[in-house]
Amino acid sequence: MKLNKFIVACVLMLAGIVFADATSTASAPAAPAPTASATGDSQSTKPEPQAVSLEPQASAADVAFSKGFVSIEGGEMYPFGDLIDAVNNAFYGGLGFRYAYMEHVDGFVLFNYAYFTPYPEGLKIDGVHQFTGKLGVDWRWSAIRPLALGVGFACSWTRADYDDEKITEKSFSKDLGGTLTDNETEFGWFVRANLPFLYKDKYTVGLNVLWEEIWTLPERSNMLSVGVYVERRLW
Amino acid sequence: MRNLLAKCLFAACAVAASVAWATVDAEMEGMEAVVRDDGTFLVGSPTYLFDRKLGSIGLHSESELWTPQKIRYRLLFNRMSVLPSWEPLAPSVWMKTGNELGDMIYQDLITAEDRPDNRTPILEGGFRTPSFKGFWVTARGFQDDHYSTGTSSFRKKMVKDEFSLIGENYPLFSSGYAGVGYDNEFVNASILAGEEYVWLFSKSYRWIPVHYAPRVDARASVGDLSLSLGYEAAYYQDKTRHEKGNRIEINGSVFYENDDVYEQMNFVLLAGLSFRALDDSGNVYTELDENRVVWPFVGFGVRPVKNVSVEASVGVNDEDWLVQDSVEFSPSVPSKMGITLGVKNISGTRLNPIADDKEYFGDSTISLSADGQMNMVQGYAEFADSADFLGFGGRASFWAEHGAETFEVSKTKKSGGAIYRYGDVSRIDSWIKAVSGELWIGAWYKEMFNFKALAGFERIDGPSERFEVNPSEFFVAFNVDWFLFKSVRIAHSIRYRSDAEWNLYESDPMVVKGDWYWDATFEQQFPKQKLYLTGSLLHVLADEVVQTPNGGTDRLRFVCTLKKMF
Repeated sequence: MKLNKFIVACVLMLAGIVFADATSTASAPAAPAPTASATGDSQSTKPEPQAVSLEPQASAADVAFSKGFVSIEGGEMYPFGDLIDAVNNAFYGGLGFRYAYMEHVDGFVLFNYAYFTPYPEGLKIDGVHQFTGKLGVDWRWSAIRPLALGVGFACSWTRADYDDEKITEKSFSKDLGGTLTDNETEFGWFVRANLPFLYKDKYTVGLNVLWEEIWTLPERSNMLSVGVYVERRLW
Repeated sequence: MRNLLAKCLFAACAVAASVAWATVDAEMEGMEAVVRDDGTFLVGSPTYLFDRKLGSIGLHSESELWTPQKIRYRLLFNRMSVLPSWEPLAPSVWMKTGNELGDMIYQDLITAEDRPDNRTPILEGGFRTPSFKGFWVTARGFQDDHYSTGTSSFRKKMVKDEFSLIGENYPLFSSGYAGVGYDNEFVNASILAGEEYVWLFSKSYRWIPVHYAPRVDARASVGDLSLSLGYEAAYYQDKTRHEKGNRIEINGSVFYENDDVYEQMNFVLLAGLSFRALDDSGNVYTELDENRVVWPFVGFGVRPVKNVSVEASVGVNDEDWLVQDSVEFSPSVPSKMGITLGVKNISGTRLNPIADDKEYFGDSTISLSADGQMNMVQGYAEFADSADFLGFGGRASFWAEHGAETFEVSKTKKSGGAIYRYGDVSRIDSWIKAVSGELWIGAWYKEMFNFKALAGFERIDGPSERFEVNPSEFFVAFNVDWFLFKSVRIAHSIRYRSDAEWNLYESDPMVVKGDWYWDATFEQQFPKQKLYLTGSLLHVLADEVVQTPNGGTDRLRFVCTLKKMF
């Protein structure tokens, strides 16, 4: 067990390095030679195509919030894995805000609402209101434009829709769905693909495909969302 | 608080700590123990923890020792605690939320057997305005529901309501305040008032609920002089025994430090006093002798010759005395190298001379102070060397302690899923001896990358069956911090610490098994807008275990903060 944890620890450490490296690649300036490379060869005067700059020409302070967009979005959410036996597919709707964060990297905030109905029959709850907030970054990699790839954290707030008369004091701990009669919140993470495909003046229409994992127990909860958004540039 | 001597007094600890700490954010100020394992850091709740860095002088938890730099800390039973902090934060507006990961959400619809315990959140919101002609306004509401579920089953029976400002999770503290302040070139002053719910952990291993309504905290700094004054109307209750009580407490401090002249004169002087005055009625479960304590102290730091520094502080009143001093010699070495040889001493009658003197548990009285005195002495050597982007260093020490504070258990009692104990605080009247060693290597690149690997061991010899806690014997830690594009901060830390044991619990010790911990912080910064979005994952790899007697379960958790500085 401890050996396993050590291996996981090493992988995580490596992942942190790889993640940071990928982030630095994300906003590396395309043309100029790097001022310092990740290899630590700061004395080199020759541009190295493989080298990764950690100090882009345009800093985040120059770019951040230089552009801002609001959006509305609607689509459907599909439970994955064992969650298929828990809830049915549900439509969702929401609002979004996207902003320039760094060169080639945008930040975004999404708020969605969905109403899920239970898949099992005979439960004491009729459905579940779910509000989800997401905070993430999109990487607009030039090789796959206009597709942007995003990653971030998610937070789901849920509360069951139920008839008071069916719920007892013990429902919270005993009945299936009982904990949802109180406010329940859980965090998770997500990845998404953001594909804008229609442009008109300040408006953009696009497709948002998002896979999220909420850190629930006894198993993690996975869902796929597919939605269409309309976005307007504010500044 | 300006406190140069405090910096000097604990320079050795600080050096080691700065090496050991990653920049992973703890969930709240005062809970830094959750991101440390360079020693024994056992957390039972936000309001109770055992914190001892490996290689520290003596056997005690650091928070149980009164020192001059903790003069504005909160007194939680016998511990000096940063949390719940009423120290006004910098001008900003902020909110924080998080959760112990593992609520079932939709898994609840398909989980009939072995349903996991409910997970609980952390909540905070607050602001402090920029100064307007020197005046500012602040307000803050904050509570940490983590660690609450495991103990709420027996705690909730003691109180008549939810015992928190928000929610029904019976958090170990819930606090809110609002107030005004004034700053100019010479004066910083503020007065805050609010309400607070706190569960104090006592020597009998009881959780004691205390409701402060109101709590008032006033503080001012004028030049080198700092003043604080607090008023607390505290209400106690135990519904299971039909008991109620209340305590009116006035506490405060006066503190003077002439650190401005340190550079010119190689001398710093500090002096001050802490005081508490109580008016108890009904059942408040503790007692302070004569309902008052005044604790005056003086201290100095001096550099008599170039390579030698001497620091000392002495506190004394009619019941107790406490001396803390050290001498350090730093021979001249090349500029990127550092060597320090030091001797430290702590002697006194009590670790915390301003804490209450008796605890009442049913018909029994528990004495919280012991006769006689404790003496601790430590010798240590530290070294560090570095090149442009690499460094290494180490620390070796030995220490010995006679008269260490402990608890003499006369009997224990199990009730409602908890275990309680009777007895008195007493001393170990024999020598405890220890040796410790720590090594670290580091690599860094400008401000963008910082890596550090650390390892340490400590061997303690003595009557370990009488130690409150048998500390961890070794740890290893790997910390990596990134700061990219001057706007993205990623900090993470992977650590292992060995077993620790609570000995004065039952006939068999309570063993907190050694484990791996991984913590990480991800932060988006917007320097121009002074906006910070931060998310931290804490204790990702660790098993979810109880780390203190009657403590809550330490769980994997995620905390995120949004902060806009003014």
